[in-house]
Amino acid sequence: MNIRNIAEKAGVSVATVSRVLNHPETVAESTRKTIEEIMKSEEYVPNWFARGLNFNKTGTIALMLPNLLDNASIEIAKGVEDVAHQKEYTTLICNVENDVEKERKYLQILIQRRVDGIVMLHPSLEEKDFNLLRENKIPSVIIGENNHVNGTHTVTIDSRAAAAKAVGHLVQIGYKDIAIVCGETPRAENANKKRGYMDALSEAGIGFREEYVVEIPNTIEGGYLAAKRLLEMDNRPQAIFATSDTLAFGVMDAVHDNNLVIPDDIGVVGFDNVRMSNLVTPKLSTVEKPLHKMGVMGARLLIDFIDGDEDAFSGEDRELVLMAKLKIRKSCGHKERIGEMF
Amino acid sequence: MNTTFLGMELDNPVIVSAGPWSRDGQSIKKLIEAGAGAVVTESIVSDAILDVCPRIAYNGSGVQNIRLYSDIQVEGWEYEMQVAKSSGGRVIASVSAHTPSEVAYLASKLEKFGADAIEISVSNPMFESLEVAASHKDVVYDFTKAVVSNVKIPVIVKLSQTATNIIEIAKAAKLAGASGISCINTIRCILSVDIDTAMPSLPTYGGYSGAPIRPISLAAVASIAQSLDIPICGIGGVENYRNVVEYLMLGASVVQVGTAVMVKGPGIITEIVRDLEKWFCENGISSVSQIKGKALRNLKSFDEMKISVAVCKKEDTPCIEGCSDCTVACMYNAISKNGNDIDIDESLCTGCGLCVSICDADKLNLDM
Repeated sequence: MNIRNIAEKAGVSVATVSRVLNHPETVAESTRKTIEEIMKSEEYVPNWFARGLNFNKTGTIALMLPNLLDNASIEIAKGVEDVAHQKEYTTLICNVENDVEKERKYLQILIQRRVDGIVMLHPSLEEKDFNLLRENKIPSVIIGENNHVNGTHTVTIDSRAAAAKAVGHLVQIGYKDIAIVCGETPRAENANKKRGYMDALSEAGIGFREEYVVEIPNTIEGGYLAAKRLLEMDNRPQAIFATSDTLAFGVMDAVHDNNLVIPDDIGVVGFDNVRMSNLVTPKLSTVEKPLHKMGVMGARLLIDFIDGDEDAFSGEDRELVLMAKLKIRKSCGHKERIGEMF
Repeated sequence: MNTTFLGMELDNPVIVSAGPWSRDGQSIKKLIEAGAGAVVTESIVSDAILDVCPRIAYNGSGVQNIRLYSDIQVEGWEYEMQVAKSSGGRVIASVSAHTPSEVAYLASKLEKFGADAIEISVSNPMFESLEVAASHKDVVYDFTKAVVSNVKIPVIVKLSQTATNIIEIAKAAKLAGASGISCINTIRCILSVDIDTAMPSLPTYGGYSGAPIRPISLAAVASIAQSLDIPICGIGGVENYRNVVEYLMLGASVVQVGTAVMVKGPGIITEIVRDLEKWFCENGISSVSQIKGKALRNLKSFDEMKISVAVCKKEDTPCIEGCSDCTVACMYNAISKNGNDIDIDESLCTGCGLCVSICDADKLNLDM
């Protein structure tokens, strides 16, 4: 059953059926009802691809994320999909594995497939790549810090301030020898977290020690290896700030394998507040990054651009900064009961 | 009885505040039909989370609630707003967020969906957090400024008693371009503890509302009205038309009713509006402006109060059988019982006035 058959059955033109589908308010109510009833009884489903050609829209958005297995990314992805689904968009997931060439390849494919817009999770793309999108009139929104490309639209948190807050909390508890296990990716964001770590140390008058900085792949194994290296030092740190919960889980595992106790022997603080951070023992103190909300706001902004509510190519950057909060649980060694809550 | 608030023509000065009673289009519509001058939506956030249970406790006069926000996502409010306004009326969208850009985004969305005004909620007293945005004037300024620069409709900022100096916060909101102030939000509380089970009334801290917070809010409204020129919406414990008049006389242009709607249903709005209209008629008042701020003239600073000698005098009215409340309460031992009457020792009376408030028989007066 196609649109022609419906038109014949209803005794109207194809254009009228098309109007019922796309601009129902322009069709007389009685005619519209008759046509709708026929479509219902014939179980007619419009050809969305053809419809897309008509409207120059495909009803598809893409989400490019660096690592499909990363706990934090997947919570952001859920936020994107929630909004997209509600607004009747299908979301294509592109796993780019922190590889800028793979990102570029996907970009080409997505342009060819004529997606309506792209949400990118801290991409490594550069200005020329975004210019390509602009030429093709495909709006994009970046979640997380990026390479400071002008004319891009972002949803971020202040990673530097958040990291400073987390390390500042460790200082307040009384730790002086604080190490950072810093993920190699996402690059821009973790560079900011490292700056925040240094801010907090200098604020407290604690000297920065190069040997307390371990940069390592952002995985559980990375966290394990980094902690192992730190624990083997003669003057091992009293506390470790990990730039992701994933890294922190690895750190906790290594501490345990070294027969040390968290937080009695060493304090640990993570970043992200992924669901698992509340389930490990001891419960992980961390920075609550509004992951789901970042996804939700990223998709909303993108759909605003697609719908023309906002002009994606006006040259003006649209910047949404969300709040990250410190979530103090058990792993940092905060003794007072009230501290676990506030 | 119609009034103008932030350039909006309202049929009456009774607005329904943000809360679960205004959670969707249908419930707002019902409140408008009950006669509300306007309705504020339940606070809309950018990522709605599910409610906890239980979340409301009531002790007969005050309510503690840990109800969060609207559980309808922003997208859903496009439809809810249409339903809410389908029989006319004014709808003010309450928005709550953690950063200026986030709150501005929400406000511009709600403006697009048809809100007549925005109320920024900057003072959620729930959960563990002791600090609210409304405690800091710089934060309130940034939030307000972000919203005002992104919408064309009027913006109200809802303030909290948590602020050390609410006037400074109100000034910051005005400076940032707010068209009005509403105050106060609920107050951080634990309603009670069951001493048999050691269980607090609700499992976490909540917001306190209802009649017990009215005196606190009246003071906040009066203070702002005396300090700066900005339309004020009084919130806190409005249960009847008299309370509405109290707020108006202390400088509010309109009031918001919440807890009374929660406990007594939308019918309370019809009742308050009807009684208020009657009172306006009986007193020959046709518009809110005639009584707005009338009581402020009688509100003196402590320095302005004259040091005067006053003593308590009794009327001929008989005492209530067996009552000795005034004799017990008199800290200066100036009142003694004499059969079913009382004697006042004027040499001991210092004119504090407590007995006058305590006497149910209206027997006592202060002779100034």
